[in-house]
Amino acid sequence: MSVAGTLALAAVESLGAAARATAGAPPTGLSTAFVGDAVDWEFVFRNADYLGVGALLTIGLTVASILLGFVVGFPAGAVEVYGDGYLKRAVTVAGIVLRGTPIVVILIVMYFVVGVPQINLGVASISSAMTAGILGLGLRSAAYQSQIFRATLASVDDGQLEAGRSIGLSRFEAVRYVVVPQALRRSIPGFQNEFTIVLKDTSIVFAIGLAELLTRGYDLFSEQTTAVLEVILFISAIYFVLTFTTNRALDRLGSYYAIPEGEST
Amino acid sequence: MSDDDFLRVTDVSKWYGEEQVLHDVSFEMDRGDVTVLIGPSGSGKSTMLRCVNRLAEAQEGSILLDGEEVLSPDLDVDELRREVGMVFQGFNLFAHLTAVGNVALGPRRVLGLSETEARERAEDQLERVGLADQLDSYPAELSGGQQQRVGIARALAMEPKLMLFDEPTSALDPELIGEVLEVMHGLVDEGMTMLVVTHEMSFARAVADEIVFLDDGRVVERGPPEQLFERPEEERTGRFLERIASHD
Repeated sequence: MSVAGTLALAAVESLGAAARATAGAPPTGLSTAFVGDAVDWEFVFRNADYLGVGALLTIGLTVASILLGFVVGFPAGAVEVYGDGYLKRAVTVAGIVLRGTPIVVILIVMYFVVGVPQINLGVASISSAMTAGILGLGLRSAAYQSQIFRATLASVDDGQLEAGRSIGLSRFEAVRYVVVPQALRRSIPGFQNEFTIVLKDTSIVFAIGLAELLTRGYDLFSEQTTAVLEVILFISAIYFVLTFTTNRALDRLGSYYAIPEGEST
Repeated sequence: MSDDDFLRVTDVSKWYGEEQVLHDVSFEMDRGDVTVLIGPSGSGKSTMLRCVNRLAEAQEGSILLDGEEVLSPDLDVDELRREVGMVFQGFNLFAHLTAVGNVALGPRRVLGLSETEARERAEDQLERVGLADQLDSYPAELSGGQQQRVGIARALAMEPKLMLFDEPTSALDPELIGEVLEVMHGLVDEGMTMLVVTHEMSFARAVADEIVFLDDGRVVERGPPEQLFERPEEERTGRFLERIASHD
């Protein structure tokens, strides 16, 4: 076993031992250290609803932020490739600022400085913290997504645009019908990364008081300190299921839209 | 030179930065003519061709197409390109579309035909270039010769009044050149007006009404093929043709 692996095991074991010491349970060896004590798992499952609400908040934040990031980031990437003048410069500068600012700072600015309002949708309302969270995470994602699309738009051969122009398509139409469909296909791997990053970064919204999955986990194991490992494993499993299924779905999307290639050239 | 020339190129000059790549190029064509531009690589023949549909911008001179000034800043270039088909050396097929999709895009989005009409037109054009059995193949699934024939069909689907060919067979394996030239021969027989840049001298000799020999961005010599090939007046023309002939 590698040195790193041994260290990791030792760490987990001592964590388990510490937990058992607090709870007064007898030491039962390595397997219990990984799986934890039944009483602590029972505690986790008893609070599954509480964590479930956090998971829903995490999913909502992720979906809304990714969508906002796409709606803003795709045009921004296109402007960086095809635009010029002040617009291009403004977009470039905004991207650099957003990518260069810690996400906690962005969220705090949104919530405390900009002071975004609560949004009423009739059936439900979105709290101002949630709005700030979506705007902060979404705009930052837009700044990163713009770079995915900038790169893939630029990667499509110039001859494609030229051929589009040669049959009488305007520049916009040639980009729209010829370049964009190819660039979007090439964007899927980068987009998978971005999705995974945003999903896990949603935990930062604790900074503006939103109790999403990880924050709720923190609350739980603060209450029952023997269950630290169990709570963290449970939460990790939820994150894993979310990233895994979404990445698989994007894989499927990618192969569905993949451009067939033959053996002949 | 008559006033009713279909295409009249007069004293066209072009610079890339400091470097002048076309020097006062002039030639003209009648409707239904086939003109072939020949010359060593870097002689400006592809650039000249691209100036005709404004994929390259000439800085000086005049290009009259059907009486209209192509180089006018007020010209609608999309309108011009609707009427002037172009076939590229590297095919430049839309990689994400099938053969039909490639050919139908222009009729659908530029001419505004319905989905069905555009598809029908695309199928007709692909049949015309002998690809009725490859309608739903993607470019990467086709041979180079087949891809170039799709490229020709794509240009033809716009029903152009002038076709530009930019070294259409230069990127092809030798055994695939014939099928593309055959399609081009067919177009000549149908009376299509064609301006062709090529190194295929036997094709040029067989179909051209006029050959224009360019070197170093200048027209060195022009004339009917039998004159240019048999009795070139300029020494440079003769030398170029000898070099080419050893590969032909």
